[in-house]
Amino acid sequence: MRQLLEIAIAIILALVLFAAFSYISVYLIQLINVFSLVVIYYATSKDEIHGACLGAVCGLIQDSFSLGVFGVAGIAKTLMGFIAGFVAKRINVVPAMRNFVFIFIMISLELILWASLYSFVYSKGLNTGRGVIFLQPLITALIGTALFPSLRKIIKSMYASRR
Amino acid sequence: MPFIWQKNKSFIILAILIVLQLVLVSVQIPLGEEGNYFERAVFVVFSPLQHGIVSFAQGIGNVWKSYFSLRKAHVENDELKKELFFLTQENNLLKNALKNYKTEKEIMELLQKLNQNILYARVVGIDASNYHKSVIINKGSLDGITKNMVILDKSGNLVGRIIGPISLKEARVQLITDNECGVSVFTEREKALGILKGDGKGDCKLDYILSTDRDVFEGDSLITSGFDGIFPPGLAVGEIVSISPTEELFKEIKVRPHFEFRHLDQLAVIMVESKDLY
Repeated sequence: MRQLLEIAIAIILALVLFAAFSYISVYLIQLINVFSLVVIYYATSKDEIHGACLGAVCGLIQDSFSLGVFGVAGIAKTLMGFIAGFVAKRINVVPAMRNFVFIFIMISLELILWASLYSFVYSKGLNTGRGVIFLQPLITALIGTALFPSLRKIIKSMYASRR
Repeated sequence: MPFIWQKNKSFIILAILIVLQLVLVSVQIPLGEEGNYFERAVFVVFSPLQHGIVSFAQGIGNVWKSYFSLRKAHVENDELKKELFFLTQENNLLKNALKNYKTEKEIMELLQKLNQNILYARVVGIDASNYHKSVIINKGSLDGITKNMVILDKSGNLVGRIIGPISLKEARVQLITDNECGVSVFTEREKALGILKGDGKGDCKLDYILSTDRDVFEGDSLITSGFDGIFPPGLAVGEIVSISPTEELFKEIKVRPHFEFRHLDQLAVIMVESKDLY
């Protein structure tokens, strides 16, 4: 129950950030993939099943905010969440540098998967927003690397204070 | 069987999730723009949340503006802007309509009808995959929004039309820059007829103008023809920016829409169908 609440809060937080970014500038939602950050955080903290399920939920929410075939972002995020959880269970990705590389690879992988599925479904290339979208792995990885340690500390201290 | 489940639990769950979503994707493809029930349900649940967040941010911004800077002037300015907005819409629609009406009585009746049929709306969300495809507005079925209602910007230029899903207080607008959108248009000068399609990158292209056609020039303005049965005739759409020579049957014509995505905050919804407007 507590875990579900935690995940729900994380999704709502991502939604708040997504709405705020779209309100500020269209480029921000291309630069920072907040839903993917939530998926990667939970996939690395829990396991690949959590990663895949949360990936499906976040991807479908993202799909509901876009005109087109519903489920394309869902599939890409499900696979990314699964792989993130699977890898994180075998390799320690907590140290800053590894964390950065890990997020960078995961976001790039998701972007490739999403672009391939998009091109397959629509038989067209996607809008790269004058190339802005290619910066997404880098910017999202930088933000994730800066954010995850503090998040881990906060959640750890919350659990510790409960005990 | 339980042994297989235990050993490959995560892969089985992944496979189920992927298969379910693949089914979801394949089910929609023949439906085109008609979203499935699951998509509509997710939209209905999450779009109010997004709407709330944006409204909250707008509310905070408005409080700041109203109480801390030029309090009175801001309120007055807002009123005037709103009035100007409606007058511009009315003026544009009237200009087109007057061409078809002759008597004073007919004009008075039309004026009243038009005034009642403009709804003011704001953008509360943009498309997550490609912001040139669609936006979400803060008006929904409770405000009388239905599919195919036409959307104009604050200067009366064509922006797009309402498509599904429509929730109680939100609706999705397909922009004319979406590559799945088609609008029947004329060139204003020579009345050359073509189909305007979005390129998905912020501009549009004018299709079905024969290579042998000599009536289309760079700088020509485009207006809706009304032949598609969705968009009323005479709405300003865009301007031809380039015509590339081609060896194919039709010319390759690039069009820049009049509406600017960056200034797409205030919108007008035309609440009647094209055939009932004039």
